[in-house]
Parts: sequence; C-alpha cells; structure tokens
Amino acid sequence: MSVSRDDFGIAFRSALLQRGATQKFSIFSLIIVAIIIFFLDIYGFTAVKTARSFINDVVYRVTYLASAPTRLFPGINQGVASHFNLKKENEELRKVIERYKSLDLNLEYISNENKNLKKVLNTENVESVSNIVLAKVLVDRNSPFLKSIIINKGSKEGIIKGMPVTQNKYLIGRIVETNYLSSRVLLLNDLNSRIPVTFDEKGTQAILTGGGTRKPTLSYLPENYQFVEDVTVFASGKDGIFSAGTPIGKTKDNGEVELFVDPNQLSFVTVNLIKPTKEVF
Amino acid sequence: MAKGNIIKKFFASGPLILLYYLSISELDTNLEKLFEVFSLNLQIIIIYFWIIKRPNLMGTGHIFFAGLINDVVMGFPLGISSLSYLIVCFVGNYVRNKSVNTTIASDWFTFLIALLFANLLFFSLLNNFSDVAISYSKIGYNTFFTLFLFPVFWFLFHLYQLSFIGSQDA
Repeated sequence: MSVSRDDFGIAFRSALLQRGATQKFSIFSLIIVAIIIFFLDIYGFTAVKTARSFINDVVYRVTYLASAPTRLFPGINQGVASHFNLKKENEELRKVIERYKSLDLNLEYISNENKNLKKVLNTENVESVSNIVLAKVLVDRNSPFLKSIIINKGSKEGIIKGMPVTQNKYLIGRIVETNYLSSRVLLLNDLNSRIPVTFDEKGTQAILTGGGTRKPTLSYLPENYQFVEDVTVFASGKDGIFSAGTPIGKTKDNGEVELFVDPNQLSFVTVNLIKPTKEVF
Repeated sequence: MAKGNIIKKFFASGPLILLYYLSISELDTNLEKLFEVFSLNLQIIIIYFWIIKRPNLMGTGHIFFAGLINDVVMGFPLGISSLSYLIVCFVGNYVRNKSVNTTIASDWFTFLIALLFANLLFFSLLNNFSDVAISYSKIGYNTFFTLFLFPVFWFLFHLYQLSFIGSQDA
C-alpha cells in the first residue's frame, strides 16, 4: 500500500518538477508564472495594462500576417469561380440593392418615430454622427466562446471603449478593448452583448441578447408579445451608447433576429466616434 | 548530410509550428458555418499527443508561450490558456511516467482526464475572475467534440510520427 503511494508521489513529483533533456523550465514553475500573469492581468495595474496594450498591437499585426495564406486561398478560389459564372455582376447589383435597402430602413425608422410622437425614444441626448473612422478587420478568429473581431484603428484615432461599430450603416457591435494601434469589437451575437432596441409600429422596447449563436434574440419584451416576422429592429439609443435608429436586423417568428450584416463576413467597418454618455463595462 | 539534418529538424518541429500557427493565426477549428455546435480544441490534442509520444519535441516553455499568444488573439485574460495547456502537459507527463506501453485506447481514456482538468480550470477561472460570460452548452460541445475526435488526430499524428520522425516513443 505504502509502495503504491510512494509510486504515485514519485510520478506526480516527476511530472510536475522534472525537466527533460530539452526542457528549460519545469511545469510547476511555468504554472506559477502563468498564475501570476493571470492575476496581474485581471487586477490590471496601469503598467500591466500598458504592456498588454503593446503586446496586443504586436500580436494582432503578426496574426494578420500569419493569416494571409488562409485569406488568400479562399480569395483566389472565389475570384476564379466568379470569373466563370458571372457571379461578380450579381454581387455588385446586390450591393446597390443593399444601399437602397439601407436608405429605405432609415425612412421606416423615421416614420415610426413620428407616429409615436417621439414618446418612445429618448433621443435628445444623442450627438450627431459627424466623426467616423473607417477601419480594416485585422483578425476575425471564429472562437466558439467569444464573438469578436480586431480592427486596425485604436486610441491613436480617438477610439475609446463603448463606441458603436457599423458596416454600411448597420450596427455590428461595440468597442470593448482599445490599444494604441488596434481595438477589439464585441459583435452583437456574442454572449456578453446586450443592446436596447426598438421595433414595430408601436415602438416596442426590448433588449437584443447575444447567445454565441449566429442570431441574437429579443428579450425583456412586453407580456404575451406575439412575434411578427420581417420587422426591422433598430437600436433605441436608450443606453447612451448607440445612435437611435441604427438598423440591426429583421425579426424571426421565434424571437431571433436575422442580422443585416453577417458577423463572419466582415472586412471593413466604421467606428462612430460618439463618446458614450454612460459608463460601459 | 547537413541538408538531411535540416529536413529532419524541420519535420521534428512540425507539431510545435502547428501549435504556434493555430494560436496566432485566424485559422480556427470552429466550423459553426457548417454545423452550428461544432468546435474543437486542437491545441490540447496536439500538446497531449506529443507530450506522451515525444516530449522532447514539445518544450513546456513553448507551450506556455503559445498559450499566452492564444489569450491575446482570443481576448481572454493573459495566462489562462497557458495554465490549461500546462495542466494537459502535467497529466501527459504523469501518464508517461506511470505507463510502460500506451495504446490509442489508453491514450483516449487518459486524454479525457487531461481535458476535464484543463477545461475545468479554464472555465472556473474565467467564471470567477473575469467579466467574460461563456455559454456552458458551448463548453460541453467543445469538450465532447475534442474528446470524440481525439482518435482521428491520434491516428494522423501517429502516421506523421512514423513517416517523418521515427517510430520510437519516449
């Protein structure tokens, strides 16, 4: 009995402390270092935050370069395919239609707003969107847990935490992390995303909740609310973060929202330089 | 002769290069476009297999560093992936010390233990010390598919080992 306990102890200690011929560090020492780094990052001191911001900028650039082959090969395939089956023309026409749709949605929103005599929306504090920054998506890693993208603009361009991010005037998410040369955007379908929205002619208020799946869902609706398909959902602007009236997606009959922008197909986005009026995170 | 050595070294570095590439690139093993619940933690499979078979090819310092890179790219608190990878290393080392000969079945069973410990630590740290919320069903699916597909990757890595590195295990 004592022999087997000794065996266990030896194997355990050896696995934790022993260094092989080519190993420079023992697992135990690295675990300790990892724990220290983890807690320094969690209870972030200014120096650690600055260091992390610098590391982020460097790693995101390297990631962008390292991912070039994975972006290049699908691109080549797509190009060849579209050359042969005239898909390109179809795509361009679709883009034109999307632009018109976007204008139409703004009109729908304004008419809804007038019908409700501006009782529903609290828009008096919303600043006009005059400053926007166009950013390129550096990293779009499809994590099973976090739905976010990295863009190539950061605090150098005046981007701060909480700013809304759009593509073709459709809301796609908000800034959750800023570095000097890059930022992380939390997408609407992430589990951590909660957006106050408004929709339909009655100006129904709800919270758009990301679930980590492709389609976020509407929650905190009025009692016994019956979903109608194809109703446009807009940001209500009640959180003081998002511009009221920014289109988001269309409702489904099960309470999900089909986003106008596919979160997996982002290449260029626009950051609206609106200072959030409320603290975020 | 020297050329042959370089090629040999290159093949021997293959698993480590793959580990780094998976950590730093956009390449992911989350095929939710095809199958919504499918996601896989290939890094853990790579670490476990090579720690058991050829620990000299998979330095713990490299594993720690790959974990840090993965945290930066994924947006997790720094050090959390390193910790979970090191736990996998630890279980792998322990199993290697205790066993004389391993088979795909024994590796699969012990991988379950390594995976459970690593994921338990990862998600409990994330849950208790971070603001990041994570879906438990996603964790379940990720763990299931990683475990379920372990034999497939075991076979592929085994073929790679036989073809390019040599059949002798550690």
